[in-house]
Order: sequence, then structure tokens, then C-alpha cells
Amino acid sequence: MSCSPSITHLSSPPEGKVLVVGGGIGGIQCALDLADAGFHVYLADTAYTLGGVMARLDKTFPTNDCSTCMFSPKLVQVAGHRNIEILSNTRLLDLDGDPGRFSARIEKRPRYIDLEKCIACGQCAEKCPKKVPDAFNGELSMRKAAFVTFPQAVPLKYALDPDHCLYLTRGRCGLCKKICPTDAVDFNQKPEIVDLSVGAVILASGFELALTREHGEYGFGRYQNVVSSLQYERMLSATGPTAGHLARPSDGKTPQKVAWIQCVLSRDAARNRPFCSSVCCMHAAKQAVMTRSHLPETEAVIYFMDVRAHGKGFDDYVERARRQHGVQYRRSMISQVYLDPETENLIIETFDHEQHRKKEETFDLVVLSSGFQPPGSWRDLAGRLGLDLNPYGFAQAPFDEPAATNRAGVYVCGGIESPKDIPETVVQAGAAAAEASILLSSARSRPAAESEAVDAPTTTGEPRVGVFVCHCGSNISGVVDIPAIIERLRKMPEVAWAEDFVFTCANETQDRLIESIRKHDLNRIVVAACSPKTHEPLFAETLRRAGLNPYLITMANIRNQCSWVHAKKPDKATEKAFSLARGAVRRALYLEPLTEQRYRVTDTALVIGGGISGMTAALTVADQGFAVHLVEKDHQLGGFARNLTETLEGDSPQQLIRRLERRVLSHPMITVYTDSEVTAHDGYVGAFTGTVQGAGGSFDLRYGAVVVATGAQAYVPSEHLHGKDERVLTQVELSRRIRTDPDKIRRLSRVVMIQCVGSRNADFPYCSRVCCSAAVKNSIALRKANPDIQVVVLYRDLRTFGFKELYYLEARRLGALFFRYIPEHPPEVKTDGNGKLVVDFTDRSSFEDFRAEADLVVLSAGMRPHEASGSVANLLKLPRTPEGFFMEAHVKLQPMEFSTPGIYLAGLAHSPRFISESIAMAQGAAQQAVKVLSKKEMKTSATVAEVDPDLCAACLACVRVCPFGAPFINQDGVSEIPPAKCRGCGICPAECPARAIRLKHSTDEQIDAQIDALLEAEQPRKRPR
Amino acid sequence: MRLAFYPGCSLEGMASDYAESIEAVFRRLQIDLVEIEDWSCCGATAAHSLSEAMAVALPARNIAAAEKLGLDIVVPCANCFNRMRFSQVMIEKGIYDVPWPVTGKIKIHDMTRLLAEDDMLEKIRARTVRPLSGLKLVSYYGCQMVRPPRITGYTDYENPQTLDRLAEAAGAEVLDWSYKTTCCGASIGIGRRDIQEALTRKLIVKARQAGAEAIVVSCPLCQSNLDLIQAKESGPATPIFYFTELLRLALNSGGRPQHWLRKHVADPLPLLREKGVIP
Amino acid sequence: MHDDNSGGRTDSIRPRHRIGDRGDHFLKRVEGETGANISACYQCERCTNACPVSAFMDVKPHQVIRYIQIGWRERLLSCSTVWVCLSCEMCTTYCPNDVGVAETIQHLRKMAANSAIQPRELQLATFHRTFIEELQRFGRVNEFWLMGALNLKPGILKDKIRTGALKEEIELGLTLWRRGKLKLLPHRCKAVGEIRTVVQNRNGKVR
Repeated sequence: MSCSPSITHLSSPPEGKVLVVGGGIGGIQCALDLADAGFHVYLADTAYTLGGVMARLDKTFPTNDCSTCMFSPKLVQVAGHRNIEILSNTRLLDLDGDPGRFSARIEKRPRYIDLEKCIACGQCAEKCPKKVPDAFNGELSMRKAAFVTFPQAVPLKYALDPDHCLYLTRGRCGLCKKICPTDAVDFNQKPEIVDLSVGAVILASGFELALTREHGEYGFGRYQNVVSSLQYERMLSATGPTAGHLARPSDGKTPQKVAWIQCVLSRDAARNRPFCSSVCCMHAAKQAVMTRSHLPETEAVIYFMDVRAHGKGFDDYVERARRQHGVQYRRSMISQVYLDPETENLIIETFDHEQHRKKEETFDLVVLSSGFQPPGSWRDLAGRLGLDLNPYGFAQAPFDEPAATNRAGVYVCGGIESPKDIPETVVQAGAAAAEASILLSSARSRPAAESEAVDAPTTTGEPRVGVFVCHCGSNISGVVDIPAIIERLRKMPEVAWAEDFVFTCANETQDRLIESIRKHDLNRIVVAACSPKTHEPLFAETLRRAGLNPYLITMANIRNQCSWVHAKKPDKATEKAFSLARGAVRRALYLEPLTEQRYRVTDTALVIGGGISGMTAALTVADQGFAVHLVEKDHQLGGFARNLTETLEGDSPQQLIRRLERRVLSHPMITVYTDSEVTAHDGYVGAFTGTVQGAGGSFDLRYGAVVVATGAQAYVPSEHLHGKDERVLTQVELSRRIRTDPDKIRRLSRVVMIQCVGSRNADFPYCSRVCCSAAVKNSIALRKANPDIQVVVLYRDLRTFGFKELYYLEARRLGALFFRYIPEHPPEVKTDGNGKLVVDFTDRSSFEDFRAEADLVVLSAGMRPHEASGSVANLLKLPRTPEGFFMEAHVKLQPMEFSTPGIYLAGLAHSPRFISESIAMAQGAAQQAVKVLSKKEMKTSATVAEVDPDLCAACLACVRVCPFGAPFINQDGVSEIPPAKCRGCGICPAECPARAIRLKHSTDEQIDAQIDALLEAEQPRKRPR
Repeated sequence: MRLAFYPGCSLEGMASDYAESIEAVFRRLQIDLVEIEDWSCCGATAAHSLSEAMAVALPARNIAAAEKLGLDIVVPCANCFNRMRFSQVMIEKGIYDVPWPVTGKIKIHDMTRLLAEDDMLEKIRARTVRPLSGLKLVSYYGCQMVRPPRITGYTDYENPQTLDRLAEAAGAEVLDWSYKTTCCGASIGIGRRDIQEALTRKLIVKARQAGAEAIVVSCPLCQSNLDLIQAKESGPATPIFYFTELLRLALNSGGRPQHWLRKHVADPLPLLREKGVIP
Repeated sequence: MHDDNSGGRTDSIRPRHRIGDRGDHFLKRVEGETGANISACYQCERCTNACPVSAFMDVKPHQVIRYIQIGWRERLLSCSTVWVCLSCEMCTTYCPNDVGVAETIQHLRKMAANSAIQPRELQLATFHRTFIEELQRFGRVNEFWLMGALNLKPGILKDKIRTGALKEEIELGLTLWRRGKLKLLPHRCKAVGEIRTVVQNRNGKVR
């Protein structure tokens, strides 16, 4: 970011293509953030499918959302994106050239099944005689040597496992080749080396578990009922080896008691893994909660040392795990797990301080929360690319460029940079995309519009309905009697034509659909197949190609809603499938051609807040050639970080602020408004208008996107004599004093620090994330200033996650003393009779009560949302958490977006975070804005709500209920809904008492007709309308 | 093959049966054991409790003697092995000076690992004439042979395999259990019999739960703790074999088992008869 | 509801210790003499959970480390822990911070043995001393003679008679004797003089 101007001095124009290595959530998000901003993306993964680790997860914390349900739409989006080319089973070999013009040598390894020909019918896997432990399921189940990794795989194509396929290993068998209906099996495929011209490379290689059977930690690999955290994830999953029914591996028994052991190969300096893997605490909490929800009778016990719930809403989640779900937390670490040979249960021995005896506790299942490491092939690749790695093999990104590497034009994101959670990966993916997008911005393609829909025909004659019924391989036809359905459909008077296909969605089928549409003069199309969510866009495109308006289609989901769930009752399933199809046919009769509207995008951004996040966001947008209005409430830029002296890692926030400020103020594309506030805001994505008022006057602005970076402020404690006794400071104040008055600091003899002041309490239940690191940083500084200063840190959970754990270790090695207190017995600060400052506390290790006389008491005071965030929220109609932080559109996958399109979120306004994290988020949020700004024009959705002005009574019901603030009362005194603001959610039509609002493509007529048709079988006398 | 042999004090007394079986087995395997001349006590278990310097120095005298012979040392007793390795490591690190020249050029083997090498196992299998078929065992290593790993060199310190392999080579069925390296109480019984008995008894109970009819060990102190605790028991005994006794049986290397197994408190003869190992 | 063992703590008024008035001299000394990373401990309690005899200790292994950090020398040298520890090395082996817990406890045992503080476990303390005396006498240790010598130490026999341990010991001796496991005559090393010098000088100098 800060070095971007120098990189763009290229002798020739850069290549507008980016290679993204790794197809997990990081790589996928990065690919989308680039592709949507006008770049061509090669998305390569060594696996046969995209998905990475996230595809293996069951649910995700802190919302317990289904991972696949969140993830699949992303996969579909990537798979269908015109700017993204997926290279599965491909690895990066080498990289030559310079930033902007690299030549990337890749190896496409053979799949032995032709991607073009395979229709994923699954017959090869059915016939394949060779069973192999399924690595995707943690080897807890078997798959065939001809396989598809998981049902939602992208590309959804089969592959032959070269290590196990009988033909490939021994030259015998070949059954798959014989059975394949499309002749897709090709045993003669060879590895193919290809050189790609790309402008930038993004490495999103992910991570793997450090736990291996060879290590044998806690009997892993020795005892069947000791499983890794990822194996357990599969055991919980509905698509896992036991279809989501928890069953332990040894005997399939439902576990009555499950234990989690935390920090396995994490925070373990003795095994050269001294860092924290950051996510396992929450991962285990989630697994325990899911276990208790699946099996309320089953006990869930977590052995841990610190609960690291440092993310937004995490403490709340852990608290609910404890109190609501009855998850038992035991602050006690385990060395060894013993087997009860008779039951194959596992015995955990602990010392029980209350009973004063050794306690043996028996569990049916033990889950090891293993730490992470870079994937096996990573070191080799990093070596060939000349990347600097940290001692544990992770990529090292600088403090102020959190997605950069030491090689210009090569960026990183996700677990390969440090162990991290999904939203942090998504954020860093955005940052990496932003870096590449800046580097290559002159090569961006800005297509005029995705405007075919706008030009689609709007006229249509009398309905002639065509129905296409899909076998989905054998997914549907294995249960539903398709010939019978076709026969019955053909008998319906409304149906002009009906036919069936093995895979209606297959590429080659589309031409046959077009042929049928033309031949039979069809103008309403029903596809009875799978989910419209995933497949309707594909068929809409086919309609367009056939010369029909793309909204003249409707789908009946006879797979997910029928054959999959009624597999055991084929007769009834056939009946239901027909009903669903008939419903769709009746609905189709009422389908109308719809059009989208085009409008020009204002390619200017508004950034609210001029701290590090705001400045970074502004530069990220401006460096890509778009104008930015940067509004800061204060008289100067810099925000929260103005108070900070040094980071834990020794970087200087002040230098960073100066550097950013200099660049922002001199940037030709950035207009800075200090002492100013946004006082008005209106419009919709791509075309907002607003007013900024401040010392310089009042300015009416037009902008296409907004980045909210309003920051946070420090909590000023009133506890522990702060403000009453000058010997009581905050960490920030101490940091400053260490710098300004080193001599006085060196003369101190004892400093007591108290953590979680103003955080994790009833009013502010969240963790402020940074305070533990601040305490560790100052402990180190004090002990280094004078090793005789005694430093006592009183904490609840020490949350130096990731590589910050190394500094906690350093602080301890330097002799800082860390004592845990429990919230029920907090430390007390007072002055004794002699005016000495004393701290009384209880040590949880020795159960002794202590008194420390302190020269200084230092409070780790947390963060609060910025006081200005409330007015910004009101003005922009943005939701906030009860504490006052802004609420993102989706905790996991949309951390930088609001549910209102065109408005994005960065930095402390989201939640407490470190500077590097804020920078990444600002870059990522800015890149979301660039995705809007880089479009010349946008189109409104066609499926929007529309008000009939004759019926509207201006009752304001719609204005009140709309979550997006779309309806307003226009100058005619009736409600109007701008199509660009409407998300088509359907709430206002339902609420409108005058029934004046109609949601296009989901009209009452359409829905009624469909329902009537569905119920027809049961109520044969009722006539359709 | 020639090796320097450091028997250690126990093998002169409580573990004289271990000593006899070692001699018989090595003779049969044609490995020459050259007893270190005038060897002296390694200091276990007290020296390291009083002075680390002394704990380093006492084994060093024996290491120096073996170096003079130019032979690697093989040690049957886990305690002695641990103390000798400790001494060697500390001298190598240059932390202590000792009055005898120790260069670190020779290896110190614990006897199980020496014999559990592939070629040795092959040799044992080839010479096994009386396989201990049907004999269900668990292996017990104790602490000192495996811990701490940086001294003993055992990377599989939680689930070591040497005794398992040897017992299997002798034809026995070795069962897995979790207590291979859980402490038996060592010499604490001298002052706190209650502690030692609690620890030792637990091992016997766990071994029986695992389905073991006998336990195979390599440490004299472990053998004696596990064996003697059964003195007061009634009911079927769980014999505690030195691994060399199992090998001696399997290799049929001299003497009548009925005679040389009589030193056990937990009488192994009924079990061996039941399994048809001895008539 | 919290996640910690409370140590059977009741909230009655208990003495409040002053912390830090002892500095970290003791910590530095023990770290210097053992090379153990005592400062690095984060009190995870793996050592105490892994220890087979923690129930018999008055100061648990993790507390030993904590007490060294705060300089509680007397408490440590007078605790039973240093004598009860079996040196089984479980704590050291599984310690994530490479603290060297067992070595530290052994070191405290040495300090206790060389101090004027009355050992909490007299028999165990006396045993260690007697063992070395026997070693000096013969160069090797004879189990029979060792036990005999131990029983002659002040207080030992009386204690064993009181607890009934003597009777058990005699029964055990007979059992061993009947099985030919007792060697009545000790072997005397030729080099016993050499060994004696080593022991008496506690030879080997720390470099």
C-alpha cells in the first residue's frame, strides 16, 4: 500500500490477470474481489475441488451457521464467474518476471477424467471396485478410487485417484471406462506444464493440522476414539461419515461424554511450536455446543488454559456455551490420555485440588484441538518463490502491508500467513486483492454493462409452457419415475411440450433446450430439477440465448425437496414431484417479462473517518484512480492510533500515521475534510448523494460507495483509583511514559498491571482484544529498562493469540510474573495507612492471597465504540451491536459489508483490533467499494417491489418495515420504491394493508396459482383459477 | 559382536535371575559380553538427589573403562542406563569435569533397544525353538528407560516398542495398554510404602484389565515392585518376566525353567504350563 | 461458576502474603544452577496432572515453580514434595515450556539436604544419605547392607516399629532370602578409594 506508487512504474502496461493459488475461502474471496473489479483470475488449487478446510466444517461460530450453506453460494458464484478460470489439481511450480508481468509456470496434473465430458453421473464411482480411506472425512469412512471429493465440489467432476486406481497402479480393471456414458475416462492423461502471463500472484495456500499419527500426541493414531478437531467436524457434519449422527469410531456408539484437549501442538515451546493457533478455543466451544445440541444427554468437557475468545461476540458465545448449553470448562492441561481396554473409553487423569486427590475421569471420545501448520508442500513453493518465512514456516507480512510478501507483486492471505479465523481470512483476502488491484489498475477491464438483460425482449404471446425434467444423473431418476411424470405432464392442457434430460444443466444440454424452445415455439419454461438458487441463472441465460425474456422461467426443485428426502418412498416421491412440477407450470402461466434498469455509477467514494483505517481505505481507492472524499471529525488525521507509541512487535504507529497523512494530503484524487461531519446521505449503491459540513463550509457530494471507518475510543476507567491517584495509569499512558520519562521508569521497583478493566463485564461483555498484548509489551519494556523492576500482571485469560504468544513467552522469560485472578475475586487497589499504593489479589495457582505494594498500578482499559458512530449509524441507517459497534452483513463471509449495498465497514468501528488488522480491513473494504466504482454502470434488479399509486394510502407501513430504507413518500404523497434500493425481500408487500405493493416475479397471482396446483391432488374438486 | 557389559548393583542381588537369563541369552545369540572390570555403582537412585556433580562423576568411571576397551556399553538396568546416559550427555555438553577421561566416542545401549534391532530380532526368531504361543502379555518400561527423551533418545516415549518387539519375537502375544511408562513408585517404598503400593497396585490392576496374563519388564526395580506386591495376594498371579527370561524360554538356552524361574514371587510356572510352554 | 479448581478454598480470612519483597534472587539462583526455564512457566498444571504422586505432595509441582518465582525458599526446602518426587520425569517430558520441573525439584532436594532445615520425610532423606555412605564403603551398593545401615540411623528403627513397617520388612527379607534374591556378603570394588574421593569431594566441578 505505502509502496504502491513505486511499483506501478512499469516499462510496459501490466497484465490484467492474477493467479490465485489456493481455493479455500481465502482464495475464493480474493478471486471474487478481483474478478468483480475487472481482472481475469486463474484460481488454482492442488486439490480436485475448491473448498479448502472450510468445506470440511460443519457449523461455524459464533452464529452456528451451516458452513456449507454459507460456502456453497460462494462456490457457485466462483464457478459461474466469467472472469474466473478454475484450475483444479494444479500447482504453481515457478515464477519469473517482474510485478505486473510475471510468467507463472503451473503444472496441471491428470485427473484421468475429461473435465469437458464428465457429467458427474457417478456411475464410475458406483462401479469402481477399489475402496480407499476418505481423506476428506478424516479417513473415518471409505470412498472409491473413482470419486468426487464432496457433493458440492467445484468443479463437480469425478477424478481417478492415481495412488489407488487399479488400472493406473496395476494396469487392470478399467470398469469405469467401460461404464462411463460420455467416454470421459482417459487413462492416458499426462501432466501438463503451462506458462501463464499474470500481473500478480496471490498465495492463499491455507493450513493443515500439525497433529499427525506419527506424533501420537494423546494416543492419536493409537486409540480409535481419540480424534482430531477436523475429524470431529466431519463426525458432526450431515455430509460426514455418519451423516451427522455422532458415533464414535471404535464401535459406532453414541458418546455419553466427550472431552476436548486444547493447545495440542500449540503454545508448546518444548516442541518448537510456541505460537497460538488462534481459533481452536472458539472451534472447541462450537463443537461442544453442537454436541450438546445434538445430544443433550452427552457431557462436554473442555480442558484448556486460557479461553481465547478475542473476536467479536466470542466471549458472549463462550458464556452461552457454559451457562446455556452446560459445556464444562476445566482450566487444567493434560499430558496423557489412557485407554480403558474393556470399553475403549479414554481416561483422563487430573489432580483435583478440591478433593485433594488424583481423579480419573472416563470419556467415550476425546477430541484434540490441534494447532495449525502450513501445508506440506508450502516450504518448497515458498523457497522457489524466494519468500521469507517465519521460523514456523508461515509467510511473513509487514506490519503496514498485511497482505504483502518480500517479493513485490506476490501477496498472501489466510492461514498461510498466520493461523486465523474465516472472517480474518476474508478480510485479508480483500487486502491482497486490493494490493493486486492497485498494482494492475491500469489494466483493469471495465465492460460497458452486463446489460444483455436490459435488452431482452419484453413482448410475449399467449403462454406456451415447456417443461424440462431432469434426472440429475440418478439423483432424481433413481427415486422418481420420470417417464410417468413426462406422460402426465404431456396430458396437461397447459403444457405445450415436456421432455427429460440426464443432466439438464450440462453445457451440451443447453443447445438442445434452445432447439426445443424454438421448435415448439415455447415462451414459458419450467425446469423440474434442483435448486433455483444455484441453477436458475444458468437457465435464464439459456432463455436469453433462445430469444426469450430471462424471467419467463420457473423451477421446481424435485431433487432437494423430493428425491433426496423421500428416497425410501419412490411412489409418493413421484406423486410429489409431479405436484411440484404442476405447481410450477401453473405459476409459469402468470410469468411476465421483466426488465432491469441501467444507471451510471458515480466513480467516487466517501470515506467516513480519517484514522489509519480511513486513510488506508482512501488511498486504496484513490491509488486505483477513483476520487475519494475523506471526512474526519477531528481537526487532524490519525484517529485512535495517535495515542499509541509502539506495537508489540516494535513497529511505530506514529511513523505510519505520518506516512499515510503525507500521502493522503498530497494525493490528487483525495479531498480531505477535517473538522467535518456527514450531515445528509441518500441514494443507493453506485449513486449516493450526501452533504459534508465542517469548518470549511457545506459541500454536497455525489459518490458511488461509502467506507465507514469511524473508529473507536479508549475507555477511561473510573475503577481502581484511576483519576484519583496519579500512580494509577492505563497501558497507553504507561507506554507514553516509558518513552517520555525513561529515567523515572528505570527507578521503579514494582509495577502491577490489571487486565480486563472495563471489558468482559456486565455492561461491556466483549473482549477488547489488544490489552493483553499491550500488557505483555509494557512488561517486556519495563524488564528490559531495568531487570530489577518487578512486574506483576493480574489477568483472567491471557489472549496473546497467533504469533503474539511468542512475546508472552518472552515476557515470562524476562521474569514478568503473570497471576490469574477469577472475576468473582477481582484484585483490589487501595492506599494503605502509609499512603502506599497496594493491590490485594488471590493467585489461582497457589490459592494464596497476596498483597503487592506498587509504585505504579497499570490498568488495561478496553476500547469503546466511537461516540460519533451513533449519528453515522442513524444517518446511513446502519445496524449496530448492543455495545455500539457496527454490525456487518455476515459475521463470517461479509465482515466488511453492510446489508445495504454500497456501504462498507473497516477498522475499530467493527470491533477492537490491532493496527495491521485494521489496515487489512480498510484495504479489503476499499476493494469492495472499488468493485462498485469500477463498473461504468449498474442495473437495478428486475424482481423488485412496486407500488400501485392508486391503492396506496401513504400509511408508512412499508417505510417502517423496510430493512433497507427503500420506500419513501414521494411528491405525489404516495409511497415509491426506487428499484435500485429494493432487495426484493418481500416484506413490504406482505405488510401493506391496502395490498398496494406487488413484488415482481413473486406476484400474488403466481403464488396462488402455484399453491392451488400443489393442493389439487388432495382437493380435486377445487378448480384452478 | 562384542560389547562392554555394565550389570549394575541390582544384578548381583535382587535381580540375580535377570543376570542369569542375560548370560544364557547372549551366549545363545553369540554376542560376547565383556563385563567392565571392577565396575562401580552408577549412583542411582541417591546421587542425583544430593549432588549433580557426583551423579555425573560416578557413572563416568565405568564409561571411561569401557572406552578404554573400545567397546560400546550395554546396560540391562533402566536406572543405570539413564544415569550413564545422563553422565555422558552432561560431560559432552561440557557442564562438568570428571576425574576420568571420557570422550563420548562409545555408545551406551539399553539392552532392549540393542536386541530389538531388526537383525537381532531376525536372529531371535530364527533360533526360537519354543515359541511362547498364546501367552498374553503387556510390556512395561517404567520411567527411567524412556524419560526424559533428550537423555534416553526414545522418541516414542509414550508408546515405546522395544519390549513389545522382543516379546513378539519370542512368540508371545503382546497387548497394547496405556501404562507402559507410568511410574511404579521406584524406591519410594523404602520410606513411603503406602505410595509405592498405590502406584504398583494400579499397574497390576490396569495390566489385568488389559487382558494380560503376565508383564514383561527390563528394569530390576520395576520387576521387584510388581512382583513383590503380589506376595500378599491370593488368586492367580500375574508373573513379571524379565524380557531375557522370555527369550531364554523361547530360545531354550540352557537350564530347566522350573529351576531358574523359582526366584519369582508371582509364580510363573502354572501359567507357562497352562500355555504348554513347559511340561 | 468458574473453570478453576478452588483448592478447597473457603473465603474465611486467611493470611495475606506480601509479594515481591524477596526479589527474584532465589529464582535466578535456581535457574542458574539447574538451567531450568522456571520463568517461562505459564501454570498450565500439566506437571501436576501428570505427576503420579501429586496427591502425596504438600506443594504441587506447578506450585513449586510458582514459589520459586516469588522466592519462597524456606517453604520449598521444608516441603514433602522434594522427598516424595520419584524423578519419573513425567513433568519434564510433557512440560510445554521446557521448565525442567523434575530437575528443579531434584535441585531443591539437594538444597534441602544441604540445609539445616529438618526434612519433612525423614526416612526418605536418610535413605539418600545412607545410600551414598554405602556406595563409599564398597563402591557398589548391596541391598541387604543398605537396608541394615538405614535401620541403624537415628530415629529410623523406632519409626518403623511404630508404623509396623519393620515387620513387613522382615517378612519381605525372608521372602527374598527363600528365593535366593538376597546377597548377604557385599562386593568391595578395588577402586573404592578412588570412588570415595569422588564422593567426598562431590567431585566434578561445575565449569
